[in-house]
Amino acid sequence: MLTFDKVSFAYPDAKETINQLSFHIEKGEMVSLIGSNGAGKSTISRLANGLLLPTAGKVYVDGADTQRTKTSAIAKKVGFLFQNPDRQICQNSVYDEIAFGLKVQGFSKEETDRRTKEVLETFSLKGDWFPFTRSRGERQRIALASVLVTKPELVILDEPTTGLDYRECIMIMDYLTQLNKTENVTVLMVSHDMELVQEYAKRVLVLTRGRLVGDGNTNAIMKDMSILSKANVIPAQIPTLALKFGDRFSDVYTIEEMVDAIKKEKQQGKGEVAS
Amino acid sequence: MNLLQYVPGDSFLHKLNPVTKLFAAFLYGVACIVTQSVWVEIVLIMLMLAISTLAGLQKRALHLAKNLFILGLFMFVLQLLFVRTGEPLLVYNNFCFFTTGGLSSALLLSFRIIGTMLPLMLLFAITQMNDLCSALVKCLHVPYKYAFIVTTAFRFVPLFTTEFHDIEDAQKARGVEYDTKNFFKKMSLIAPLFVPLLISSLKKVDSGAVSAELRGFHLRTVKSGYKEYPFGLQDGICAVCILCLIAGAAVL
Ligand SMILES: Nc1ncnc2c1ncn2[C@@H]1O[C@H](COP(=O)(O)OP(=O)(O)OP(=O)(O)O)[C@@H](O)[C@H]1O
Ligand SMILES: [Mg+2]
Repeated sequence: MLTFDKVSFAYPDAKETINQLSFHIEKGEMVSLIGSNGAGKSTISRLANGLLLPTAGKVYVDGADTQRTKTSAIAKKVGFLFQNPDRQICQNSVYDEIAFGLKVQGFSKEETDRRTKEVLETFSLKGDWFPFTRSRGERQRIALASVLVTKPELVILDEPTTGLDYRECIMIMDYLTQLNKTENVTVLMVSHDMELVQEYAKRVLVLTRGRLVGDGNTNAIMKDMSILSKANVIPAQIPTLALKFGDRFSDVYTIEEMVDAIKKEKQQGKGEVAS
Repeated sequence: MNLLQYVPGDSFLHKLNPVTKLFAAFLYGVACIVTQSVWVEIVLIMLMLAISTLAGLQKRALHLAKNLFILGLFMFVLQLLFVRTGEPLLVYNNFCFFTTGGLSSALLLSFRIIGTMLPLMLLFAITQMNDLCSALVKCLHVPYKYAFIVTTAFRFVPLFTTEFHDIEDAQKARGVEYDTKNFFKKMSLIAPLFVPLLISSLKKVDSGAVSAELRGFHLRTVKSGYKEYPFGLQDGICAVCILCLIAGAAVL
């Protein structure tokens, strides 16, 4: 679905921000991109939908070279959420804002109306709100809803959960997971929240100063301190705790698994005493 | 290239007092306006380009001159077609396209535009807005509030440009065809951009004002600036030169 082939990129009058980066994301994957501030995460997401073009190497979206495809054409397949929601909000009501993307892409009036209402419902938004004066978290939800309403095949989200309270984070992540499962939507998400990454992403890309230092299964990466320390990342709480116990909880990553493991130990402990 | 951005350097131009720079740029423009000769106009432009080259700004100066040239060309065509004094120059089927008077006034006007704007635009390359603002307050006792308004307005120009590009990107990413080659289509698509641009700019101005106020903006007086802006020998020389220039331009 998305391929970076030895991509390098430099902003005008600056040294290279992205350096010889290669990775491939299959259709239907749920991938998280992590790394410290200024590592180049937002730059990568812009490269992925043709807003920026690589100075060397190639980026392919669903087989199409971004250098030869207009961003507005890529947008039919790729939904893109910016780090700052105010960038994209441009209509005077939430309803129009969400319908905007559908209209631009030429959906019929009935289809536009049906999908917009459906999404308003899912994201608990009101169609007649004036988007600009809503709270930061609400604007984030509006922006996200207007990206997801066109049902893109690939969604790129630059820190979708910043400014949202925990309940809303979970709601949005659950919605994304459901899209991923039922509609086989590919998700690439930039995030600083390791708890969410641990819980929702199957695969993690770790970025340090424009270079990929880790790429693999979330559980494996979260155990690899040599990678994480390079990227200044502290893993989620449960894996950190598990790591402190060494071999005792070697396969434990979530609260449920921790509870199960402790229960099991207790039973085994009792069993030993009884015998 | 951003045409209003400061270019760091330590040339003789950079070292002048900001107030001198401001007046010199202004008076250079006046010289271009008072002269009635196309040749003096050309000499003034060349001289400005030479001075910028000495200050290490040749790239910027040429770039500016090129942009101003386009504006000049536009004015040239207008003047040429509408000024009807003097002898007919190009006549076809009894229809007079332009006259000698039209040609000379068109030439003069378009060079005048380039000559006047060039020093004023170059001012931004050699002066930091903060310096200009503080110097106006220190040397001319302009109330800080007003100096601040002007300098801030200029600072917002590059900010708006980046903001505009970012918003344009966001719309492209949603499938709006800003990347079309068709100029008219693009213009009609740009309309919805102004809403987010205006909103985000107003928000920025508003929060900037509140934050300045919270940090005691209204307490500021002439004494609040630590940096002094004395006039030196080079400022005197510059003033004499510029006055000679105006006199010369007026006489020739
Ligand atoms: N428009 C630009 N022009 C020049 N340099 C830029 C531009 N945008 C970003 N950079 C630089 O590129 C580097 C990577 O920026 P990027 O925004 O991709 O980081 P990030 O990983 O998204 O950081 P964050 O976690 O803070 O969002 C930074 O050093 C930044 O200063
Ligand atoms: Mg970023």
